Amino acid sequence: MSEPREDPVPIFGTWPRIYGAVVILALVVMAFAAFFSKYPF
Amino acid sequence: MSSLDWTVFLVYLIGIVGFGLWVGRGNLRIDDFFLAGREMRWWAVGLSVMATQISAITFIGTTGQGYNDGMRFLVMYFGLPFAMVVLCVTVVPFFYRARVFTAYEYLEKRFDGPTRTLTSLLFLCSRGLSVGVTLYAPSLVLSVILGWSENATILLMGGTTIVYVMYGGNKSVIWTDVVQMGIVWFGILLCLGIAVSHISESFGIRNALALAQATGRLEIMDTSPSLSKPYTLWSGLVGGLFLMLSYFGCDQSQVQRYLSGSSLTQSRLSLLFNAFLKVPMQFLILLTGVLVFVFYHFQAPPLLWNKVELARLERGAPPEDLARVRARFEAAHAARRTAAQAFGASRSPEATQAYLAAGADLTAARGEVVALVEKTTGKTYGDTNYIFPTYILNELPKGFVGLVIAVIFAAAMSTLSGEFNSLATATMVDFYKRFVRRDAGDAHDLLASRLFTAFWGLFACAIALQAGRLGSAIEVVNRFGSFFYGSILGVFALAILTPRASARGAFWGLILGMATVGVVAATTSVHFLWYNVVGTVAVLVYGLAITALWGVAKPQSS
Repeated sequence: MSEPREDPVPIFGTWPRIYGAVVILALVVMAFAAFFSKYPF
Repeated sequence: MSSLDWTVFLVYLIGIVGFGLWVGRGNLRIDDFFLAGREMRWWAVGLSVMATQISAITFIGTTGQGYNDGMRFLVMYFGLPFAMVVLCVTVVPFFYRARVFTAYEYLEKRFDGPTRTLTSLLFLCSRGLSVGVTLYAPSLVLSVILGWSENATILLMGGTTIVYVMYGGNKSVIWTDVVQMGIVWFGILLCLGIAVSHISESFGIRNALALAQATGRLEIMDTSPSLSKPYTLWSGLVGGLFLMLSYFGCDQSQVQRYLSGSSLTQSRLSLLFNAFLKVPMQFLILLTGVLVFVFYHFQAPPLLWNKVELARLERGAPPEDLARVRARFEAAHAARRTAAQAFGASRSPEATQAYLAAGADLTAARGEVVALVEKTTGKTYGDTNYIFPTYILNELPKGFVGLVIAVIFAAAMSTLSGEFNSLATATMVDFYKRFVRRDAGDAHDLLASRLFTAFWGLFACAIALQAGRLGSAIEVVNRFGSFFYGSILGVFALAILTPRASARGAFWGLILGMATVGVVAATTSVHFLWYNVVGTVAVLVYGLAITALWGVAKPQSS
């Protein structure tokens, strides 16, 4: 099987770092949602 | 609609078909037609993935859901970013390196032909029928709200999409999705902006959010451990994770989008792009619905959002009953408006209690109207999908109405185009090229691919044209999809996570997994988001047990 073309990993240099950033961002968004729903408008 | 609205709408429709035909030229082989020559960039693929997922009914129905039930529906997407990471680590490299056209093709490489055939057939059956619903639902809403012919709307929406997908294949799908997604995002921000400006004039945005909060509509994080309660944090995180893994990992309409990436990196980035944007997008759509809810405190809402049913009620209900429920509804609305203004002025606990009591009274008054409709027509009545289009038509300035109708068309067409294309791919690659014409030339393959695209487009139109008569059969189709989504994910999990699982284990595990989900659905009140978890776990357990009992398959190269 031929190996497909690979681009260099962007932004953070490695995939685990990128996945870590996505997970942290997802948690931040969830925290924002919780904050928004409880904020005393 | 005014002539300016018509102009805006027609410019969109003619423009998108012309653009789809222009970008889709130059297809020579089925690699070009189905995978856009495997040369797409991550942002284009990412927007296409998003556009395929957001149908018109997501756009109109989610705002209606925000109006009726608030923002708790957002949790359904909480599992999505985690699902994208899992997919980037697991299935995307396997699919990409195997150079497959369909997700199911990979299962033949890993297991055997029957497993590939069964999973592809399940995709064709469920997606083929549900694409008709994707076309029917917005057409019905638009025909009711705008007075257009339902059949003409179906044929206009379906026909224009068939034209450019049949000619340009996946290249047209992805590039038109990019434009359509831009239009949808613009429409979301526009509608939110207009809702905010309406509220700011009459009540103030902070008061509006406090009012929505008092009714529980800003509540997102329900930590109840109940499995039967809809949209809890846990069902969103766990059930949503499995739902998104199934949809983005095993549904050809999505897999085909990211297989078009020019490299594995581009394919991965396209999914991670969705991980960033999807939750904020749903947040804005739901928030728009919540603000429309507040807006209708100070503007009289119609007795029913579906004006065709309202006209039927006015013709068929006893006049004295109708006059009674109408007077009660109008009085309850006026009382709630007064209570809301008092709430905004003081925010005292007494004002909050008085407002909530007035809101409950209006809900009861509306319940009486709905009961009268159901008594008159003999059918259950729901109008969540009509709330937002009614708001658009009645409250937006000239020109904007045409633009938002174009947004609804864009959302529908972007989903339809991806589905027509993926259905044609599965038919061509998983069946026609295996069982009918294995070694035909490029010209023949390309022609057959275009004909399959046309077939599935026309099939969707035919289903949509008959959908009003099919009634509950449509609901059965939608439920059928949720029965096997998780089970198919289980087969892929067996393929990728358990190198020793046998083809026999995968095939029979899938059948027993679907049966298990059917039993759980029939005998318990577990919410549907959990079906995907049940299906996946069941297939893994059955598959491994069957492998252990009947022997281990020889590992195959992948």
